[in-house]
Amino acid sequence: MNSRTLSRVSFLAVLIAAAPAAFAHHGTLIAYDRGKQWTSDAVVTSFHYANPHPQIFFDIRNAQGSVEHWSAELLPNPAALLRNGWTKARSTEALKAGTPVKVTIAPARAGGMVGLLMKITDANGTELLKDDGVPPPADLSTSPAATP
Amino acid sequence: MRPIHIVAAIALAAVAARGVLAQPAPGAPRPGPGYPKIYDSSLPFEPKDIAGIWTPNGAGYGGGGRCRDCGDRGFSLDFPQFTPAGQAAFDANVPSYGRAKDSDDAKAHPEEHIGRRRAQPPALGNDPYQTCNPMGMPRAILYPDPVEFLVLKDRILQHFEWGYGLRTIWMDGRHLPKPEEIDLPRWWGYAVGRWDGNTLVVTSTGYDDRTWVDHFGYPHSDQMVLEERYTRINYDSLELKMVLTDPEYYAKPWVAQTKRMHLLPANYIQSSGWSGLLEDLCAPVDEVDTFNRLIRDPAGTGKPAAPPRR
Repeated sequence: MNSRTLSRVSFLAVLIAAAPAAFAHHGTLIAYDRGKQWTSDAVVTSFHYANPHPQIFFDIRNAQGSVEHWSAELLPNPAALLRNGWTKARSTEALKAGTPVKVTIAPARAGGMVGLLMKITDANGTELLKDDGVPPPADLSTSPAATP
Repeated sequence: MRPIHIVAAIALAAVAARGVLAQPAPGAPRPGPGYPKIYDSSLPFEPKDIAGIWTPNGAGYGGGGRCRDCGDRGFSLDFPQFTPAGQAAFDANVPSYGRAKDSDDAKAHPEEHIGRRRAQPPALGNDPYQTCNPMGMPRAILYPDPVEFLVLKDRILQHFEWGYGLRTIWMDGRHLPKPEEIDLPRWWGYAVGRWDGNTLVVTSTGYDDRTWVDHFGYPHSDQMVLEERYTRINYDSLELKMVLTDPEYYAKPWVAQTKRMHLLPANYIQSSGWSGLLEDLCAPVDEVDTFNRLIRDPAGTGKPAAPPRR
C-alpha cells in the first residue's frame, strides 16, 4: 500500500470513526432509509469539505449501463474531521475527482439520486466500514492531570 | 514510519475496533468520564473564575453528542404546559430532530413529550437555524459544542463555537428591562448577571420570538424571561440550571434539565497550529446555497436539486 492509497484509506476510515459522534447533526438520519442500502462501484466527481456536512458527488453505472450522477452527505462535520487530523487540503486530495471507490448508500426516503454515505471501499477492495452502528463510548481520559 | 502512516494506522485501528467491541446493553454502566478529561477535578479552583472554554461535547468539539453527564440537547425532560397561544406556536414549528413523526419508534416512547417525537426531514421542516438564522438562547447553550466565557470588567461574553455567536451578559449593575419595556427584541436578548454566593445568576429577556428554545422546536414568545444559574462545582465542571418563564406561551415556569460543561485548555482546539474556537459560523453560501440545495432538499422531496441562485 503506497502512501497515497494509505492516505485515502485512512481518510475513509476516519469518516467512519468520526461519524457516530456527529449523528443527526442536522436531523439528517430522518431523511434516509437505512433499511434500503445499496452498494456500487463509483467514481468520485467532487468532494465538498464544508459545514454543515461535507458532501461527496459520484457517478455510478446502473443495470442498464447508463451513468447516474449521485450525491451524498457525510455524517461528520468538518470540525469532526479536523479533530481526527483531516484538514480540508488533505481530505480533498484523498477524494479528488476521478478516484475509484465502492460506496454503500442509504437512499433518501423521498427518492432521487441522493443519499447518506454509509460505507466506502477503496480501489484495493479494502472494506473500510463494517456497519453504521454507534461504537461503544471511548474512555477519553488522558492520564496526566493538566493545569491551565 | 512517516506521520501520515501513524495517523492512518490509528484511523484504521479505530475502524477495526468498531467491529470488535460490542455495544453495551442499554442502561449498562459505561466506563470513563464520557468527555475529554484533561484536568484533575480535585484541583483547587476559584469558584467565581469561570473564564475559559467550556464544552458539553463528548469528544470536546466537532458536533455530535453531548457528554454523558452533561444532559441532553433538549431544554427539559418535563412536559411543558402551554397556553393556547403557546400550543399554536409549538404546533407551527416543524423540527428535524428527535424521533420520526408517526414512526413506530415515536409510538414506542409515550413517556417522552410529543416535542421529542415529531421530527420530519429537514427539507420539510422549518427550523430557523437550517437557513443560518441565529440560534439565540437557550438553544445555543444546549448545542454540543464549546462556549468560551470571556470575562471583562463590566460584562461576560459567551462566544459559541457552533454558529460563532456572541452573547453579552452585563455585570455592571444595570437594570434589566421588563419584557413589555423592550423596544427592539434581539436575537441574543438582553442579559444581566450577578453573583449569588458562588453562583452566577443570569437573567435575560427581550428575545426575538423567531428563535427556538431547543432543537425540538419548543417556542418562546418575546415575553420570555430566562434565568440561568452557573455554578463551578469542581475544577473542570460547570453546572447550569435554567428556568424559563413565559406567561404568553407557558402556563407555568418550565424548569430545565440540569446541564453540565467541562473545561478545555485554551489550546485544545487547534487548526493549522492556531488555537481557539473554530469559526463554525453558518454561512449561507455553504448551508443554504450548497448543502440545502444539493443534498437536504432533494433528500427530503425526491426532486432534483434546484438551480443555483443568481
